[in-house]
Amino acid sequence: MINILLVCSAGMSTSMLVKKMQEAAEKRDLEAKVWAVGDSESHEESKKADIILLGPQVKYLESKMKDRVNNEKPVSVIDMRVYGTMNGEKALDNALEAHKNFNK
Amino acid sequence: MEEMELIFFEIISTVGTARSAFIDAIGLAKKGDFEGAEAKVKEGNEHFLTGHKSHAKLIQKEASDEKIEFSLLLVHAEDQMMSAEAFKILSEEFIDVYKRIEEGS
Repeated sequence: MINILLVCSAGMSTSMLVKKMQEAAEKRDLEAKVWAVGDSESHEESKKADIILLGPQVKYLESKMKDRVNNEKPVSVIDMRVYGTMNGEKALDNALEAHKNFNK
Repeated sequence: MEEMELIFFEIISTVGTARSAFIDAIGLAKKGDFEGAEAKVKEGNEHFLTGHKSHAKLIQKEASDEKIEFSLLLVHAEDQMMSAEAFKILSEEFIDVYKRIEEGS
């Protein structure tokens, strides 16, 4: 089971992407838990995640987030176009890629 | 996905990226990297403009009497736009302030 946490400013716009990513995971029979929170809850929630994705609006939190998880987990920013088109498949691909490359 | 929602997400993603760029610019100015800060502001402006153009589609619809339905997502898009603009203005001022501090030191 891979736990993918999405962070944005209020957790609202990312929740649509969560749904799309969850659908994409189901389609490929991948066991994944995808959920979204706002920055205020992100510290607590990041403890349960294997990978953290940031919405483009909170890109500026990238280094702060990496520090928060002591660089033990991959933190990456969702591509603007992937986010803008709510492309669940691509977002999931990017998440899995980041996770794979991190553990190398 | 619905046409309207797509436009909202277009706006949110572009102006959101712009907002982040402006905030990053302030961080860079704080570190004394003024060139980097100014480059970030330029980047932010470009993304903001793209978002603004998407937003114009909504204004055009309302102008031709095609009412835009209220949705929380629309409010979020508008909100992100205003926030991006505020940070744009602030980033320019902050760069100036940090420059002045650096000159004075």
